[in-house]
Amino acid sequence: MSSESRPGYLLPAAIIAGLFLAGLLAPVLATERPLVAVIGGRLVLPAFAGLPLVGPLFDADRARGIDWTSPPAEARVVLRAPVPFSDRGVRLDESLRPPDRRHPFGTDALGRDLLARCVHGARVSLLVGFGAGALALLVGCALGAIAGLRGGGVDLAIVRLTDVLSCFPAFILALAFVAAWGRPGLPPLVAGIVLSRWTGSARLVRGETLKRRGGDLWVAARATGAAGPRLFLRHLLPLLAAPLSVVAVFGVAQAIILESGLSFAGLGVEPPTPSWGAILAEALPGSGAAWWPIAFPAASLFIVLGALCVAAERLESAWRSSAAR
Amino acid sequence: MTAFLIRRALSALPTLFGISVIAFLILGLLPSDPLLSWSPGAAAPSAEAMARARDALGPEPGPVARYADWGLGVLRGDLGRSRRDGRPVAEVIGEALPFTLVLNLCAVMAIYGLALPFGLLGAVRPASMTDRLGRWTLLALYTVPSFAAALVLQQIFAIRLRLLPLHGVSGPETLAGLAALADRLRHLVLPAACLALSGWAYVARYARAAFREALGQGFLAAARARGLSRRRALLHLAANTAVPLLTLLNAVIPGLAGGSVLVEQIFSWPGVGRLYLAAIEGRDTPVLLGLTLLSGTLVLAAQVAVDLLYAVAEPRLRATLIETPADVV
Repeated sequence: MSSESRPGYLLPAAIIAGLFLAGLLAPVLATERPLVAVIGGRLVLPAFAGLPLVGPLFDADRARGIDWTSPPAEARVVLRAPVPFSDRGVRLDESLRPPDRRHPFGTDALGRDLLARCVHGARVSLLVGFGAGALALLVGCALGAIAGLRGGGVDLAIVRLTDVLSCFPAFILALAFVAAWGRPGLPPLVAGIVLSRWTGSARLVRGETLKRRGGDLWVAARATGAAGPRLFLRHLLPLLAAPLSVVAVFGVAQAIILESGLSFAGLGVEPPTPSWGAILAEALPGSGAAWWPIAFPAASLFIVLGALCVAAERLESAWRSSAAR
Repeated sequence: MTAFLIRRALSALPTLFGISVIAFLILGLLPSDPLLSWSPGAAAPSAEAMARARDALGPEPGPVARYADWGLGVLRGDLGRSRRDGRPVAEVIGEALPFTLVLNLCAVMAIYGLALPFGLLGAVRPASMTDRLGRWTLLALYTVPSFAAALVLQQIFAIRLRLLPLHGVSGPETLAGLAALADRLRHLVLPAACLALSGWAYVARYARAAFREALGQGFLAAARARGLSRRRALLHLAANTAVPLLTLLNAVIPGLAGGSVLVEQIFSWPGVGRLYLAAIEGRDTPVLLGLTLLSGTLVLAAQVAVDLLYAVAEPRLRATLIETPADVV
């Protein structure tokens, strides 16, 4: 299979990494607080104070409490943030402005800058997507390995559970779980996604474990004294790395889809925290008047999901062609 | 044959039981206080009245007893009553279900109706411009969430171009006969298309691969050698290759059912998806429980139906299907 006829890894990986980084750094990239400012002759870095963990290092007493949309005389802005708006800065007088130089993505019905909201939305969408996707993979691998190695009643119970769970449409299962939780928020969101998404990797791992049991490699590993978790982690998991990586990348895409759907239904993160799905939900009532609040978050979703899909496809064809060789 | 059909259908029963248990575990164990949902909208009763009512009702039954109560009701066709208006849940769902079934059926037909020719076209001329373009399109569409596609397509075709209706099931009541039918079909186009997108990409990818493999096996040359025209030979080949693609429905249907929830909401389609969201908002647990059970049951029923169809269409496989347990099939 010639590599040039197929999309490569590099572009999708760069897109995902770039957006992930943008999401992580959202408090610095999109905020009305300047990157660098001078207050009373002293240099401060107000935007960095919004970062998690390291934020307090940059927190300056004198920078606190300043309204940067109209800074007082003693404060001088040296360098603005790349997107000089916060995701929550409501400006009713700037409601539904179409895209222009000031607001490249336009503003929403409350006058909030949509680029800032999309950047902050990437934070939630990608963190939840990658976090829940990884957690689902972990749970699936663990349960699949337990089923495959233990066999007997444990195996039967896990197989039956995956059978039953995969009868529910993933979105409905996640929706029911989050609704039953009662309150919106991160924990039910992630738990709901994991609940409806772990079965795929569990099936794969269980099937492969059963297939390799009793093979030469297996017997040899057993002969060296490997057993239980070590047998699985050291001698089986590396063999499954290629198919599992495909499952993992698709899993992240599915988790992002579920997160955006749940947020769109109003059961994701709590407003006003933006996620791409939540921004789309807020845009729906005004969709007859403005296209930009729908077009840009939707495009962000499509780009990330498309990049993940291309990456997964590329991984899969690489794995298949190496397996065929 | 009949024995196989019956066995396959029976093998789904434990899974059905499991579906009801999971649905109940998730939703039925909600800390529900019947007294608080007694009269929605009315003034809250005094603490004294609540205590008196609680004494009269007796102790709350345990989870197993509640499950047994609910499950036996389901077996009799009684899903409880909606907390919103007190109507039987089965009746509320029954009103919405036909809308969802029509929508999803149209989506399934669109998926296969478009994916098979598309796959065949790509397979006959691999690496052609259409094939390459098509593969990129499919890859791009594969992970498009149906609700986001719905918002974008609605924006383009209903709001900007005004080619298709914005939402709803039908236009003015005054239409009759063919005009009314055409109107209903026009209302179906956008929601069905949004639902079908990712399933279409999925099936078309497999169809292309399957057709290519079949083309490489010399069937085509054999059929041509017997004097069939290229077109007819291709059609024969396609018909035979397409049968296994039926099993892809097992993966497509859950996606459609999940996608309907938000697509119906966006297009104000009065189906079970919209009912589901309304039930979440109104904390209408009996309706939620009924709908969750229904979604699992319908997907399971579709899986069994696909297996049966497949067995009917492909007699060679019947033997293996019988020998392997249901979860492997």
